[in-house]
Amino acid sequence: MKEFVYDSVYLRREDFEEGRVLFETWDPNARYAWDAGVAIGRYLQELKAGRLIGRSCPECNRILIPPRMFCESCFYPTDRWVPLEDTGTVLTFSRCYVTWDMVKLEKPQIPAVIEIDGASPGMGIMHILGEVDPDAVAIGMRVGAVWKPPEERTGSINDIAYFRPLAD
Amino acid sequence: MSLFDRIQHADDALNWHGDMPTEGRYTVGIAGEKFFREIKDSGQFLATVCLDCDITYMPPRLYCEQCFAHLDEWLEVDNSAHVHTFTVVHQNLDEEPLPAPQIMAFVTLDDTDGGLVHYLGEVDAEDVYLGMPVEAVFKSEDEREGSITDVKYFRPV
Repeated sequence: MKEFVYDSVYLRREDFEEGRVLFETWDPNARYAWDAGVAIGRYLQELKAGRLIGRSCPECNRILIPPRMFCESCFYPTDRWVPLEDTGTVLTFSRCYVTWDMVKLEKPQIPAVIEIDGASPGMGIMHILGEVDPDAVAIGMRVGAVWKPPEERTGSINDIAYFRPLAD
Repeated sequence: MSLFDRIQHADDALNWHGDMPTEGRYTVGIAGEKFFREIKDSGQFLATVCLDCDITYMPPRLYCEQCFAHLDEWLEVDNSAHVHTFTVVHQNLDEEPLPAPQIMAFVTLDDTDGGLVHYLGEVDAEDVYLGMPVEAVFKSEDEREGSITDVKYFRPV
């Protein structure tokens, strides 16, 4: 662009906005549908009903959540659905001051991996913590799911609004 | 569903729907910048010439494809052309039917070694033939924005 814009080949936002450089835009239709499969399909249906469910492996006896049809450790087909509690323990967490598309947040989101009660140690799901002082969050904190009202649930992990600290 | 059931009906299978918000910007480049600005400002095609290889590049290239020489010989090109090949398009990229069929053609610009892919207009598909002489129809100056669509279409002479 050297001869037409300025002394550098790097383009700035203003060069596009003020018409100093000619360009074509391309806005692809990138909508997609992803088949949830047997295990996640059932998992999402149970979320809609307000329950968490896992699968157990006959070989290593671990109880897996999110459920899968094969144990990733011993490659055995999992064979049993196991209802689980909607409470758990914070395994790890982060304080996040930007959204996924880089909008600054004054009040941080607190994504956390929560080890679900009834599943094997280390088995957990990623979710958001709420109703909690960001500075008070700690590894090992006991939390419970806050469900959306049944009519708002869609069969999604977001049917749980967030996890909040348990009262005890 | 009881506890040991697998999915029995297709209706029970869940789909996860998503959308990836993406927008691409493709700059036209140094040769393209000169080419499209000239179309925008004066409704005039430009080509570059490699005198060594005797090739007139249309649309203009910055480098000769044969000898890799940097090309700075610019030439004004007449807007007359000939249909090299054509097709009639009935669907858009998403396979939806177009309001009216469009004739797409590759037209070779006269006195150059290149050409453009563009629409044919003011003509019925049945009347188009290979080698048909055509000319570019430009949008009015205030509608032009430095894009290939500043040319509305090519029409028979």
